[in-house]
Amino acid sequence: MNELKDPRKTFGEAVIEAAEKNQNVVVLSADSSSGSGLGAFPSLFPDRHFEFGIMEQGVIGFASGLATTGKIPVFAAIAPFVTARPFEMFRNDLGYMNQNVKVVGRCAGMTYDQLGSTHHSIDDVALIRTIPGVTIINPGDPVTIRKAVLAMIELKGPCYMKIGSPKMPVLYPEDIDYRLGKGIVMEEGWDVALIGTGTVLSKAVAAAKLLEESGVSVRLIDIHTIKPLDRELILSAAREIGKIVTVEEHFLAGGLGSAIAEICSQECPVKMKMIGIGDQYASNGPYEELLGKYGLQPDQIKETVIKFLST
Amino acid sequence: MDIKEILKLEYTALHIRRSILRLIRAGEAGHVGGALSSVEIVTALYFNLLNIDPGSPKWPQRDRFVLSAGHKCLVLYAALAERGFFDKSVLDTYGALDSPIPGHPNMHKLPGIETNTGALGHGLSIAGGMALGLRMDKSQSKVYVLMGDGELAEGSNWEAASAASMHKLDNILVFVDRNQLQISGRTVDVMSYEPLDERWRSFGWSVRTIDGHDFEAIIGNAKEIPFEKGKPSIIIADTIKSKGLSFAERKVNYHYWKATPEEMEQAERDLDAIEKKLKEKTERSTGNE
Repeated sequence: MNELKDPRKTFGEAVIEAAEKNQNVVVLSADSSSGSGLGAFPSLFPDRHFEFGIMEQGVIGFASGLATTGKIPVFAAIAPFVTARPFEMFRNDLGYMNQNVKVVGRCAGMTYDQLGSTHHSIDDVALIRTIPGVTIINPGDPVTIRKAVLAMIELKGPCYMKIGSPKMPVLYPEDIDYRLGKGIVMEEGWDVALIGTGTVLSKAVAAAKLLEESGVSVRLIDIHTIKPLDRELILSAAREIGKIVTVEEHFLAGGLGSAIAEICSQECPVKMKMIGIGDQYASNGPYEELLGKYGLQPDQIKETVIKFLST
Repeated sequence: MDIKEILKLEYTALHIRRSILRLIRAGEAGHVGGALSSVEIVTALYFNLLNIDPGSPKWPQRDRFVLSAGHKCLVLYAALAERGFFDKSVLDTYGALDSPIPGHPNMHKLPGIETNTGALGHGLSIAGGMALGLRMDKSQSKVYVLMGDGELAEGSNWEAASAASMHKLDNILVFVDRNQLQISGRTVDVMSYEPLDERWRSFGWSVRTIDGHDFEAIIGNAKEIPFEKGKPSIIIADTIKSKGLSFAERKVNYHYWKATPEEMEQAERDLDAIEKKLKEKTERSTGNE
């Protein structure tokens, strides 16, 4: 059994680690730092933490302005409130102005399970993916959350990173070679490419194990950077295997599966199956049950893959 | 202020108005009303108030100017050209494919532009972040913002207003170009935010109201910021929309002007008349010496 770690706590510790190394890192809060694992930041760096209260669209603008003076603002809050709500600010003030700002949507996907569709964020990748120049990072375990934070601080330019809320299993060793924009082949295989991302990467990992036990050879891929997408890795899977299944806690419209289909359909058309949430508001309830409602539990993923391979 | 200095600014304002006509001739149309109403404010900024270097537009110690009401960009392009940020021939590309001077400013295309504005209600937050960053760096630089009065209906402005006050950003000065008109009519009829002074004061700002075409009032007041220590400052500048064009002043349908040849001729005559008056004023002032 893998060790479980709190993604928000991991994220907050990584930001503090980055801030210790880089004096330009500042944290902006829309009444959201404590809930983002950054509760310790204000006392550690009192001159580098700015509280704004619940005004996310304004905070994005302030972050843009701070970035013009060489600061590296990190703004973490509940995912829909840093993406859907201030979308125009994200697009104009960060994307269009190409500002070195790091926006982090936490409790993303359906991890705010009971709180329903206002608090779910299953459209954030679709929205932010339309903004030219924004890097979108969706790490799937605590080790890569930390590495992603450190890498995104080093990267010059606007970034959107999403993390969940429930504790998540450690999937990688500490010394994993993690690079933004480069997917990770977690298992080699030849019958199907199973591509996962973010909060449900661990479900894809478990599904791959079940499939292997059933005699299906799976190439398991972690796409932790949805934009820019690791084009070569995707195309090599398409060319070499010819069958791709994507797994994401996101709408089918505009997410990882869509991004992969955009590349494959034009450069190497292959059979694809996308697992995610269809054109509906996700329901409310216990998180694991919600994942089950949308076919995102390992046994369901396995069944979907087997059915896909048999057609 | 010295009369010669004021006359010089008035001549510069005239040149800027002429450049705005040049832009309209090139692009055939543009947001002229709010550009002309804010000519004196922008002239005062670029030819007196702003500590800037056209040869080094990204100089870190510069003052910042954020044109929150991005559609007023004709006056910004004209002022930047006049100040030497780029050659005036660039003004003739207005409206052309890939022109560096789009219908709303783009910092990546033109030196001297600080922000990509155009969508209203963005500038004040960005300016607030600049002010915060400059204060962290213990910089003496100031952040100046120009907003429209119609723009104030965007709720995001009031988030920014609260935050600037809460964070005691007394290195910001906002000008509101209160020309009292927006596309659909009078601001007080479309969505009134009057009384503006009381509203801004209640958000924690230090407020002054002036004649926005009076250089002495603009510069004299702007040089006194912060009006109160620890508070952001705002000047509500009463202006005349389309100022300088006899046929368009205070008329709502010249918010965006598609110029007919007759109107353009009249506009030239109007600016010639202003020049004539300025010459007379200059002669009087030199005669008095």
